[in-house]
Amino acid sequence: MSIFEYNGSAVVAMVGKNCFAIASDRRLGVNLQTIATDFQRIFKIHDKLYIGLSGLATDVQTLYQRLIFRHKLYQLREERDMKPQTFASLVSALLYEKRFGPYFCMPVIAGLGDDDAPFICTMDCIGAKELAKDFVVSGTASESLYGACESMYKPNMEPEELFETISQALLSSVDRDCLSGWGGHVLLVTPTEVQERTLKGRMD
Amino acid sequence: MLCRSDPITLRLVFDAFLGVQVALGFSFCYYIFLPDLPSLPRRPSALPSRSVAGRRNEPILAQSRMSRRYDSRTTIFSPEGRLYQVEYAMEAIGNAGAAIGILARDGVILVGEKKVTSKLLQTSRSTEKMYKIDDHLACAVAGIMSDANILINTARVQAQRYTFAYQEPMPVEQLVQSLCDTKQGYTQFGGLRPFGVSFLFAGWDKNYGFQLYMSDPSGNYSGWKAAAIGANNQAAQSMLKQDYKDDFTREEAVQLALKVLSKTMDSTSLTSEKLELAEIFVEPSGDVKYQVCKPELLEKLLVKHGVTQAATEST
Repeated sequence: MSIFEYNGSAVVAMVGKNCFAIASDRRLGVNLQTIATDFQRIFKIHDKLYIGLSGLATDVQTLYQRLIFRHKLYQLREERDMKPQTFASLVSALLYEKRFGPYFCMPVIAGLGDDDAPFICTMDCIGAKELAKDFVVSGTASESLYGACESMYKPNMEPEELFETISQALLSSVDRDCLSGWGGHVLLVTPTEVQERTLKGRMD
Repeated sequence: MLCRSDPITLRLVFDAFLGVQVALGFSFCYYIFLPDLPSLPRRPSALPSRSVAGRRNEPILAQSRMSRRYDSRTTIFSPEGRLYQVEYAMEAIGNAGAAIGILARDGVILVGEKKVTSKLLQTSRSTEKMYKIDDHLACAVAGIMSDANILINTARVQAQRYTFAYQEPMPVEQLVQSLCDTKQGYTQFGGLRPFGVSFLFAGWDKNYGFQLYMSDPSGNYSGWKAAAIGANNQAAQSMLKQDYKDDFTREEAVQLALKVLSKTMDSTSLTSEKLELAEIFVEPSGDVKYQVCKPELLEKLLVKHGVTQAATEST
């Protein structure tokens, strides 16, 4: 069994009209045994930039802390927040730094850039960027997430419809995966506000 | 072996003992005569003595000749027990734009005097003398800005390293101390020059609340209720001493700082272009906030506290 599947995870991000949503499951397991049901995989970098980290939980937390470290120094030096594109390059560089002993995580980055244009992107564990206009997925449930998103996604969705779509895609996908699930965590980011919602699904 | 009193062994032991005696004796003699050996105590560098010899015709005060000889290196004490380079660095700061920090009941304020104000100057950052080091910590600078940038950068990295390791903000005094260790290092090692910077640190931490520290090029630091660095700092310090009250609010502290600056600054009128004001306080939500006062607001404050009257009358 791969180390990427040790704790189990599902992370997805979707683009709407001048907005985006990022969602993850809440399970932390050790192989098939569930340890916690309120695990956090989506982290805030600043008001309009979020990162979801799938994969090994310990690396998820360490990588997040390193990213905060680097972003904070950038903020102090530049007196502004990082653009999502810049941040994606930073994550990519940090991951490739550990090319031969990688962090076992696959990030999903979602943010609003200049003019509130949404940006989403994912990477493998050594920092190869994959940009997308519609949605990105990552984690043990990624295969089923691809299927769900491909059938449910429509371009230019309004925030409420986007929330509904990403939630349904996440919940139906994690039901097809033994290692992720136990509800979900959804963040809906528009230029003016951020809505944070916790989903209940099959809690078993 | 010795118990058997083997004659050869005994002889060997005796010989060794004698050898030690001789060696000790010789080294003792050497020790006594060493100070008289002419060439040994000389310093390899002949530079200071040559420079003195070169000016033999000029009338030089004993004091200045003394300092010439010892001020070329940061790491050497003069016979009076002083480190001249460090003292010169402090002298340099005395000419820099002033900065005042005052500890209030509900926060800490920093006010600074901008020295270079040209209309042509393009500034990339919002403040010239105030720097945020972390969310709970900021500093005001007096002295050589290029030196300060190095130190501020290390301070920021230190603060983030601490947060990375412990997942909590760095205690204010610990950060000040780590920065002063760096400063001190340059007065002792390497033979470079010391950092020509004084800092005022304003911050908040959960153990000691609001704090204000002052540091100088020697690496000394100390905590204060109100402190001044830069031009006319002694006059400012004595005014602060006279007027400081323990139960100041931030607004009263700003008023005092503006009053002190208006009297100690060389320029006749105080305007918002020549000043910077920053505050650290705790928001109702519990977060620590560092806030730089906008020029328009600062102008209003100056009028309100009546320190800019001269300017309004003349225009």
